[in-house]
Amino acid sequence: MNYSNIIKYWRVVLTVAELTLRHQMNDSFILFTILVQPILVAVLALFMLKDAAANAAMFVVVGSGLTGLWSSLLFISGNSINVERFQGTLESLIGVPTPFDVIVFGKNFANVLQSLLSMTIAYLLTAFIFKFDLSLQQPLLFFLSLIIAVFAFISFGLTIAPIFVMYREVQHWQNAMEYPVYILSGFLFPILLLPGWTTPISYALPPYWAAVALHGTSTGGAELNSVLFAWAMMIGLGMIDLLIASRLFKVMLYKTRVDATLDVQ
Amino acid sequence: MNGLAKNLRLFWQGTLLSYRALFHWLKPTTYAASKILMPLTQMMFFIALGTYGSGRDNSEFFVVGNAVQIAAVSGIFGVTMSVGGERWSGTLVYLFGTPANRMMIFFGRAFIHIIDGAIGVVLAFTWGVVLFGLDLSQTNLALLALTILVTTFSTSGLGLLMGCLSLVTANVMFVNNTVSFLLLIFSGANLDLKTLPVWMQVISNWLPLTRGIAAARLLVAGANIQSIAPLLVQELLIGLAYGMVGYFLFKQVEITAKRRGSLETV
Repeated sequence: MNYSNIIKYWRVVLTVAELTLRHQMNDSFILFTILVQPILVAVLALFMLKDAAANAAMFVVVGSGLTGLWSSLLFISGNSINVERFQGTLESLIGVPTPFDVIVFGKNFANVLQSLLSMTIAYLLTAFIFKFDLSLQQPLLFFLSLIIAVFAFISFGLTIAPIFVMYREVQHWQNAMEYPVYILSGFLFPILLLPGWTTPISYALPPYWAAVALHGTSTGGAELNSVLFAWAMMIGLGMIDLLIASRLFKVMLYKTRVDATLDVQ
Repeated sequence: MNGLAKNLRLFWQGTLLSYRALFHWLKPTTYAASKILMPLTQMMFFIALGTYGSGRDNSEFFVVGNAVQIAAVSGIFGVTMSVGGERWSGTLVYLFGTPANRMMIFFGRAFIHIIDGAIGVVLAFTWGVVLFGLDLSQTNLALLALTILVTTFSTSGLGLLMGCLSLVTANVMFVNNTVSFLLLIFSGANLDLKTLPVWMQVISNWLPLTRGIAAARLLVAGANIQSIAPLLVQELLIGLAYGMVGYFLFKQVEITAKRRGSLETV
C-alpha cells in the first residue's frame, strides 16, 4: 500500500467516499448500525447510568457514539473489500488503473465519517428528548481528539478489511468481536472494573485511546498530559496499523493477480 | 391417524432441515462465535454496565436478566432467518406449491430454535454461576428449566412474526436488530421496569421475555411454583399470540403472493 497515492489521487478518494455515502444511506443494516443502535444504547445507558456520575449524560453521549463508530468499523469497513467480492466487482476494481488501496481508503474514510453521525444523534437525543444540559468542557481539544480518532479508526479499518477477505475463519468471529471492544475500550464504563490482565489488551486498541481522549475532553475529567498521551497512542497505533495494512494489501493483491484465488477461496 | 402421522413427520422434517439449512455454514468455530462467545460478551457488557451504574450488590439482577435475554438470539434471529430464508434461497415458491399443512410447516421452523435457545440460556446461567458468582442455592432448578423453556417458546413466537415480516420486506435485518435491542430495554433485562415511564411499562407488558425474566428472578430469590405460575402462563399466552398472528400473516402472504405472482418480489 503506497500512502502517497492517497494525496496523488485525492479526487478519487473523495469521489469514492461520496459514492459510498450515497450507496450506504440506502442500506438499512448500515442505518441501523450508525443511527438506531447508538440511540438505543444511549437510551439504555442513560437509564442505567443516571445515578453513576454527575456528568453521566455527556459520558453516555460520547460512549454510545463510540459504540456506533466501532460497530460501523467492524461490520461496514471490515466488509468494505468483501462486499466487492460478493458483488463480483473486486477483480474489476483491482484491474482499473487507480490503485486499489486508494479506493479502499476512500470507502473507509466515508464509513468513519458517516459513523460520526452516531455521536451527533446521541447528543441530539440526550439534549432535546431527555433534556439534559450538555456542554463540552474542552471543545477545542475534543474536536482535535475526534480528528485524530478518525485517523486511528480509518487505519484500524484498513487492517481489518484485508484480513476478513483473506481469512474467512477470522471473519466467522466478526459477530463476536463487537462487544469485547465495547468492554475493553471503556466506552461506557471504566476499564478499572475489569480484571487487571485485560488492561494491556485495552492499551493495544486504538478505540480505547479514542475513548480516553474523547471522554476526558468532553467531561473535563482528564488532564492535558493524559489527553496528549492518548493522541500519541492513537497516532502511534494508527501508524502501526497502516504498516500492517500495507503488508496485507500486498498479499491480497498477489492472491488476486497472481494466484487468482481471492474470489474462489 | 395416518394424517396425524404425516403431519408430525412433516413437522419434524421441516424443523430439522430448516435448522440444518440455516446453519449450512455450521462449523464448530462459527457456532461457537455466534451462539457462545457473542452472547457471553453481550452479557458481560451489560452486566458490567449495570453494576457500574448501580453497584456490585445488584449484579444478580443483571446476570439473571441478561442470561434469560439470550433467548432472543435464537428466538428472534434464528427463527426469523429460518422463515425468511425460504425467500432468500428461492424455495418459497416450492413451499407454497406443496399441499403440506401450513401450520406444521410454519411452526416447525421454530421448534429446534426453542431447544437451541433454551440450551443457550442454560449456558448463560452457567456463565453467570462460574464467572459472576450467581447463587442458585435457593433456586428450584426444575422450575427454572421450565421458565427457560417457556421464555424461549414465547420469544420464538415473536420470531415467527418477524419471520413473516421478512417475507414482505427487504429490511428484515434492520427490523430484527431493532426488535432485539428494544427487548434489551423493554423486557426488564437491564432496567427495573417499575422505574420506567408508564408508557414504557405498558409496552413491556405486551412483549415476550418480560414475564420470563421476572419469573427467573423470583426463582433465583427462592420463589415457588405458586409465585411464578401466573407469570409463566401469561408468558406462554403471549408467545402463542405472537406465533398465531405470525401464522395468519404467513397465510395472508401466501394468498397475496399467489394472486399477484410476486412471491420473490414482495
